[in-house]
Amino acid sequence: MTAAPVALPEAPAPQGGLRRWLASPVGAQITAAVVFIGAWQLLTVIAPRVPGPAVVANFLFVEITGGPHGGIVRGQFFEHFAVTLQRFSLGLFFGFISGLLVGILIGSSSLARALLSDTVLVLLTMPAFVWAFLTTMWFGITWQAPVLTVAFSAFPFVAINVAQGVRAIAPELRNMSTAFEVGKWKQFRHLTVPAVAGYIFAGLRFAIIIGWNGILLSEWFSGQAGVGFRTRYWFDANRYRGFVGWVIVFIVFIVLVDRVILNRLQARAFRWRDQKEVDFIEIEEEQVGL
Amino acid sequence: MAQVVIKRLTKTFPPPTKGGDPVVAIGDISLEVEGNVFASIVGPSGCGKSTLLNILSGVETPTSGTVSVTESGRPAHLGYVFQDARLLPWRTVMDNMLYVRDDGEAGETRATRYLDMVGLSHTHDMFPGQLSGGMQQRVGIARAFSVEPDLLLMDEPFSHLDAITARSLRDHLQELWSATRKTVLFVTHDVVEAVQLSDRIIVLAPGGRIFDDITIDLPHPRRATDPKVATLQAEILGRFEEMHPAPAPA
Ligand SMILES: Nc1ncnc2c1ncn2[C@@H]1O[C@H](COP(=O)(O)OP(=O)(O)OP(=O)(O)O)[C@@H](O)[C@H]1O
Ligand SMILES: [Mg+2]
Repeated sequence: MTAAPVALPEAPAPQGGLRRWLASPVGAQITAAVVFIGAWQLLTVIAPRVPGPAVVANFLFVEITGGPHGGIVRGQFFEHFAVTLQRFSLGLFFGFISGLLVGILIGSSSLARALLSDTVLVLLTMPAFVWAFLTTMWFGITWQAPVLTVAFSAFPFVAINVAQGVRAIAPELRNMSTAFEVGKWKQFRHLTVPAVAGYIFAGLRFAIIIGWNGILLSEWFSGQAGVGFRTRYWFDANRYRGFVGWVIVFIVFIVLVDRVILNRLQARAFRWRDQKEVDFIEIEEEQVGL
Repeated sequence: MAQVVIKRLTKTFPPPTKGGDPVVAIGDISLEVEGNVFASIVGPSGCGKSTLLNILSGVETPTSGTVSVTESGRPAHLGYVFQDARLLPWRTVMDNMLYVRDDGEAGETRATRYLDMVGLSHTHDMFPGQLSGGMQQRVGIARAFSVEPDLLLMDEPFSHLDAITARSLRDHLQELWSATRKTVLFVTHDVVEAVQLSDRIIVLAPGGRIFDDITIDLPHPRRATDPKVATLQAEILGRFEEMHPAPAPA
């Protein structure tokens, strides 16, 4: 999580700053990126049809700033990105809320579990492209298709995780609440939700990644705008720099969402747990005499 | 000043293994506890003590018979101290206190008062995970008192603690009880502890039946080292021998 890295003394004396920097989280990330770009560059030497990092970077610059791509085609970025983001948020919202409700239902009632858990399991095994096809067949080339693709692919991941979380709530805490006559709503807010929060986050993480894949597919098949549509546009135009460029946008976005937004949220929700960890580290520090 | 009336209570659990016999946790108990009494329920492990408290608190339902817990005609408010602290790990000490009874400022004042009484005034903003086991248990005790219950149920609240902590918590408990004089049902399998704390000791035998009902007429608070207490402890321990005769020395 976001606990600040704590410099505990290492057994052998650290050999110079470089090594230490390489081992630090930021250093490791930068190193990995440099290695990746180097390998990519090398690949273009072996396979000349693969667009190199510089070419792709240039393409993205033009696409984002709306400059000319040569000829009459101009860069388009934010309009596509905004469309996809809207559809994605809407689909994720529906998938998440319904997953949450169904998950709580399955987790707390054995009747609901008997009725629904197999269905959820089937949905879980359904690949996103099936939803992309089906929704396009049902709705044609409309906004519903990508939204529902996201919702359908996100839903079972949330439902199954939440159900598991609800089942894992300690019965002792439940009994304590009953004995003290704590109201149902208060129990839901302060016992069920926090106890399940970890599972909700796990479900949400999967849902976001799966849903994001789903929307790319759906827009690829049936979009008239959006990230998936634009990716296909460049693919169909035989402009691989465009294709690769958009794939990178696609990946960078999801990594940022995961690292920045979800990690922040999680750190906030689990303040009580981090508190303990921080404390533990402090104790360790005292013991080693820092 | 609650009134507890238990009539011909039985509780049977389904057999733990298929085809086995059902588990009789409570055989047939009739019992009345009333007034500002500190009553202990003593008995060997598995004789249905926790089950009895769970039925009284509404966590379990009786198989047959009736229980009623009232306070001048209306259903009584309960406080419960468990064997373990049972705090919500994601809420601070203060928020745990408010979880069971939150009536705004009054609730906070009350919570503060009872946390003070168990010596935890500095822990309001700490999470349970940052407290020692004994401190957590003290929060559990403060929480049960802070709802100002008509009846206080306590299920072996000190059995997980070391002897020194347990002794100091017993003193805390006696102080709290002397100040509030609730009706208390205190479960323990420690006869010595029961004699020090209670006005009345109800002894259960295996199979969930009442074996003995003893009144203890000594003033509160009682010190564990008081010779009168020690004498009584020895005598009552002797009565227990009748239930479980010790093997004759070789
Ligand atoms: N939820 C349950 N399901 C099945 N059996 C149970 C359940 N709760 C208790 N029992 C059984 O009922 C009997 C009485 O249990 P109980 O917990 O009331 O004993 P106890 O007197 O509190 O014992 P201890 O001193 O060890 O806490 C035991 O045989 C136990 O196995
Ligand atoms: Mg018990």
